[in-house]
Amino acid sequence: MTGQSGQSGRMLLGLTKILGKCSLPCRWMRKYIVIYRSVVMENMQYMANIAMGFVSYFVLNFVFMNLWNYMYGTSGELIAGYGKEQMIWYVMITEMIWFGARPAVVARQAAIDIRGGNIAYMVNKPYYYPFYILAKYTGEWSVQLPMYAALAAVMGTTMVGKLPGFHVTAVPVIILCVVLGITINAVFKLCIGLFSFWIEDTHPFQWLYDKLILVVGVIFPIEIFPEKLQPFFKLTPIYTVCYGPAKLVVDFSPGKCLEILCAQFLYLALGSVLIYVVYRKGVRKLYVNGG
Amino acid sequence: MLTAVENQLWVCLLSVKYNIMREMTNKVTFLTNIVFMMLNNAAFIVQWLILFRLREEIGGYTMKEVMLLWGLTASSYGLSHILFARVFTLHELVVNGKLDAYLVLPKNVLLSVMTSATETSSIGDFLYGMVIMCVFSFGVGRFFLFLLFTLTGALIITALALLTGSLSFWLVKSEMLGTHMTNSMISFGTYPDGIFHGTAKFLLYFIIPVGMAIYQPVHIMVSFDGGMLLRVLGYTALLTAVAVAVFYRGLRRYSSGNLMESRI
Repeated sequence: MTGQSGQSGRMLLGLTKILGKCSLPCRWMRKYIVIYRSVVMENMQYMANIAMGFVSYFVLNFVFMNLWNYMYGTSGELIAGYGKEQMIWYVMITEMIWFGARPAVVARQAAIDIRGGNIAYMVNKPYYYPFYILAKYTGEWSVQLPMYAALAAVMGTTMVGKLPGFHVTAVPVIILCVVLGITINAVFKLCIGLFSFWIEDTHPFQWLYDKLILVVGVIFPIEIFPEKLQPFFKLTPIYTVCYGPAKLVVDFSPGKCLEILCAQFLYLALGSVLIYVVYRKGVRKLYVNGG
Repeated sequence: MLTAVENQLWVCLLSVKYNIMREMTNKVTFLTNIVFMMLNNAAFIVQWLILFRLREEIGGYTMKEVMLLWGLTASSYGLSHILFARVFTLHELVVNGKLDAYLVLPKNVLLSVMTSATETSSIGDFLYGMVIMCVFSFGVGRFFLFLLFTLTGALIITALALLTGSLSFWLVKSEMLGTHMTNSMISFGTYPDGIFHGTAKFLLYFIIPVGMAIYQPVHIMVSFDGGMLLRVLGYTALLTAVAVAVFYRGLRRYSSGNLMESRI
């Protein structure tokens, strides 16, 4: 598994090199590609440490496997339109995104930089701070997520069985959906982190946001909630961050795929505007004490 | 002898008190951390409401019993992190040579280390457990049992962290083991043991001691069994004694760093 991930890491580095040499739109992105590349290289040095996190992922999935095995009394039973294998695969995919793309750097670093005053140096650097954080975060998950994806695939096929109705041809669009979902999540987490300009500790707000995503989107698919609540959940980031990508894996349909992608682009645009406004207002509040 | 023990306990209590006072320097942050941790835990009630819409009982547990399970896990975890939060980062002290500052103190080394930090958010965990217990299954006798099992649960969680943390005296990269053990205890401890079978159940009672910290106490609170109570108390004492012995055995191997540090 580590060998596979190492290969994909080298491919990533190669890709960033090519992108870095491109002209026009890529020239503007070059600095972020350099940041991304350095984080990828750093993370590749700690692949064994990343693999240690597999234990927690395994334990949680093991708990959910037991739970759903218990909940599905008879074989062939459907809960909220999902069969047992689909339900377990759904949780495995959402947990894979949860563990493999943990936005710790987004949540923590913005808060630390702002509280510690480091932001005063960073606003003068030749990059846009939110993009700097997002580039770092992308570098982190591009090493971790493929490793967790490989583990999920191995665990799923050996412990749950094949996913009925899974289309290999849908994989590229699912990957796009996962990437968009992760980025939307990071944008919203960064927005919360940037509130450190006004309040000292944003951790409690990060917990609440995480729990909303975890309980509503990661543990259960939206269809399991009462029908009256479902339209409301579809309007929240939950729909685009974890429900969307996992739903496409367990029950792909072109119509659903289009709906989820549209919602993701809309949310990304909304999140980008929000981050721009919050950061702009926050930086104006910044004052330097010296020292 | 008794005076010495009393004295030591008094120092520990003072240490925890000053930890909390230090955390309270910013009152808004302190309170936000506690309240939001309680809300954070409460989010999981939704999970169980959904699951109990599908079945009336899960793994032999009703909603009330699952909430008791949740309450006990939260309060045990909370109490261990209020009183002994430093144990959970013992690895860092050992590997970075930061134990020196504690070795020169005139009181018990282990207790000085253990009580030298408090995690604010865990006060929210502890209070959440108490509130959940009172809301879902209050009874005077059960409340006192709950308090007792919160203490035994906290001791078991702490002893496990101390045991795995003490491995740092021999192995540099042992911190992940401790983190995974604690995380696994919390992951398993918030789901009924009736959903696990065979090897998994064996692991939960003998390797990850969640059975003795959470499951057995909940069974005792639901239907009292004196023998089971003694087993839980005995297990707690045994695990604590083993963890303390391993710590002191490891401490003999500790070689001081040249790090200058002062504790104020």
